[in-house]
Amino acid sequence: MTIKKLLYPPHLFHIRKVGRIMSLLGMLALLYPMEPLKAQTPSDALMMPSKNICVLFSYDMGTFDRYWEGSYLRSNETIATVDRNMVLPMAAIGILDNLNFYVSLPYISTESSEPNGGKFTGARGFQDIGFALKYRSIRTELGPGRISFLGTAGFSTPFTNYLSDYRPYSIGSGAPEFSLRAIGQYELNSQLYFRASAAHLWRGYTEAERDYYYNNGSYYTAWMDVPNAWTYEAILGKWLFNTSLKLELSYSSLTSTSGDDIRAYNAAQPTNKVEVDRLGFSAQYYFKSIKGLGVVAYHNRVVNGRNTPKMSNTGFGLTYQFNVIKKQTDEENAQ
Amino acid sequence: MKKMRNNIYFTLLVVLAMTTISCEKDTPQYLPYEGYTYSELNTNGGDWVPVLQDSGSSIDVPVPSSTNSQDYLNELEDVKEAMADITSDQKKAIRYWTNNPAIRWNEIALELIAKYNLIPGPNADGSYTLPNPANPEGPPAFPFAHPPYACRALAYMSVAQFDGLISAWHYKYEYNRPAPFQQDEDIDYAYEENQIPSYPSDGAVIARASKNILTAMFPLEEEYLQQVEEEHLESLLLSGGNVMSDITAGLEIGNAVSETALTRASNDGMKNAQTPKAVSDSIKQAAYERFGWAWDNLEIPERPVGLTPFFSKVNMWSIDDVESVRPIAPPQLDSQEFLNDVELLKDYARNMTDEKRRIANFWQDGLGTYTPPGHWNRIANEIIVEEKLNPLQTTRTLAYMNMAIMDSGISCWDAKYYYHYPRPIQLIEGFETIAGTPNFPSYTSGHSVFSAAASEVLSYIFPEKAPTLRAWAEEAAVSRVYGGIHWSFDATVGTDQGREVAQYTIDRAKADGADQ
Repeated sequence: MTIKKLLYPPHLFHIRKVGRIMSLLGMLALLYPMEPLKAQTPSDALMMPSKNICVLFSYDMGTFDRYWEGSYLRSNETIATVDRNMVLPMAAIGILDNLNFYVSLPYISTESSEPNGGKFTGARGFQDIGFALKYRSIRTELGPGRISFLGTAGFSTPFTNYLSDYRPYSIGSGAPEFSLRAIGQYELNSQLYFRASAAHLWRGYTEAERDYYYNNGSYYTAWMDVPNAWTYEAILGKWLFNTSLKLELSYSSLTSTSGDDIRAYNAAQPTNKVEVDRLGFSAQYYFKSIKGLGVVAYHNRVVNGRNTPKMSNTGFGLTYQFNVIKKQTDEENAQ
Repeated sequence: MKKMRNNIYFTLLVVLAMTTISCEKDTPQYLPYEGYTYSELNTNGGDWVPVLQDSGSSIDVPVPSSTNSQDYLNELEDVKEAMADITSDQKKAIRYWTNNPAIRWNEIALELIAKYNLIPGPNADGSYTLPNPANPEGPPAFPFAHPPYACRALAYMSVAQFDGLISAWHYKYEYNRPAPFQQDEDIDYAYEENQIPSYPSDGAVIARASKNILTAMFPLEEEYLQQVEEEHLESLLLSGGNVMSDITAGLEIGNAVSETALTRASNDGMKNAQTPKAVSDSIKQAAYERFGWAWDNLEIPERPVGLTPFFSKVNMWSIDDVESVRPIAPPQLDSQEFLNDVELLKDYARNMTDEKRRIANFWQDGLGTYTPPGHWNRIANEIIVEEKLNPLQTTRTLAYMNMAIMDSGISCWDAKYYYHYPRPIQLIEGFETIAGTPNFPSYTSGHSVFSAAASEVLSYIFPEKAPTLRAWAEEAAVSRVYGGIHWSFDATVGTDQGREVAQYTIDRAKADGADQ
């Protein structure tokens, strides 16, 4: 009945003009091992100019030793502490000054710590390829600052045949996802800014390798309906040191619009109703000495939830932005 | 103006993308069939030999009123009045229940098994609390519908249904009272018409026998099962297939056969199957002294007792002595056969393929599902509908299949706790699996034994499907090796064991009169 989605972590490329340099910032989306939460995502208010490309390469380390079974926070020595590591290559392309395109393809691996009582093997592989288009419709001076409104449409779909019905080790929800996000930001002239976004995630079905499952009743099919969801995000950020360092505090949430609870001491499954509340902090620095290069670091933790791991994740990334046209022209001139 | 055009373009893009993604999938919650013309009627079915009753005439039902009596004519009027006021929900119920409702009750049993197939987790102090029938709410709720529990529930339900229908068939053809739709041309039958007499109602036998057995097996579901039975009984009348006295007589038979079945169940040894720790320890010690090995539960915290060590002592349906069908001993731990298997499992784990993973998952039927016995009931249901079996043949198939599955499970558990053979994760250093290792010894594989037994009985009933069914059973067996939780000889010997055990029930089936 719906579409499912996986988390592709798209997203956040933040671009900022620094002199002639645009910077791209990557806040990573978080991945949740049990219910791949689609991260709070392409949610910044920055745009990269036309003909620029920014690439991001980041490494994310997520871990949890408890999860919410329904609303009950459980530890489970069968899985002990589960680690979920991700390598995320992403690219952002400036099509127009007000229209950017994004593509991402995370590689994820999961495993339990030793000792554990279940002896399950972890999972690894490329997760979902994600595409997104971000469009800035308004950007105007207002009072002592500037206000912007943006919209993002995203689509992701599994890139490999990884098994979504293998919680908590599955690397994703195994379903296509379409998302629409509205973003609003107000930035004071002091470069302190507040941003909020809301998105709806339409997620399709994931195909299990069994043709019977229980979801508050029998289902005689391999298709599992991954619930749609709403996500919200609020960010407080500040540019420092002549617009070379950006700091952000974030709160984000995800709420599935349907689904079942994880049953007592039983494995999660893609049909679960997931709720997540998460706090995060990120810092991004753009080098003055190397044009186009930036570094990003962040930490997030889930503070409340339902049918989701109490995950903490930390990540580091490099971003590099360059002007395609200019580079080609330079090469031609050189010949 | 340019901005507006951009906005429209964006909107169109969004609509296109959503249309592409949001294809609806059919996710059926029960077998999609709506009644059919039976392939045959088995008019002599009342002479078949029941499982627990002496004969089709063992249960008394009143002589029905004749079709020209005022009582009967009043009953016909009641049917017509009820049918005149039928609601859309009632029509939906009639379509759901069909003219072979044993399938629906089997699916209800499978759903309850899946609902209750949850292993109790540890308490905060590391201890485990077992489900307690004296306090079914728990926690943990009673029962834990693991495979031994599930196969037993299915066997008792199917046997009660089969015995009840033999009795119903006996009186149908003794009294030959035609169905309402044959008596009164104003009554349209909701299903394909047939000539089977309607007194007593076979649907009511199925409803009552199933409800009584399932209520005993799943006591917390009493209210739900009561509602389901009421809906079913109402649809029997509204279908134009039964008057109230047909239904009342069917309920009497249903009560009688379920009482007999539940009396057997209460004394079959199941209540002692989950032994105290001291008994469990002595079983383990005996195996260690005999063979030099013993299985350990490796969960954290460790479960003090494996699953139902004395399921082996539960009364079998068709075999007197469980030890008479005990398989040979598994390989010594220093034998070449064993060492070869270690290499085989390591190789499977290192080189997992999409196909092996698919097979391991397809047949896994683990916690939270309807278990392997449930999977084979689902397979049987699909074939029964495909072959258009009548209700009597349906319950005969399910009864013998579930008796064989339960006998094979009892025999399997005898081997498991007699040999007490360790699982791969216990003997292979650092070994990891893609399936969950269960809380009982390895040899022989329950999946293998259950599946072999089920496929043998189904092959007897549906001989043209035998090659496919046996291949499925072998795939189910090897799926556990691919999953990393069984040795290959657990699967191969278990398959032989299941086939051998099933033969006793098949021999019994061949002598019940149905094949004559």
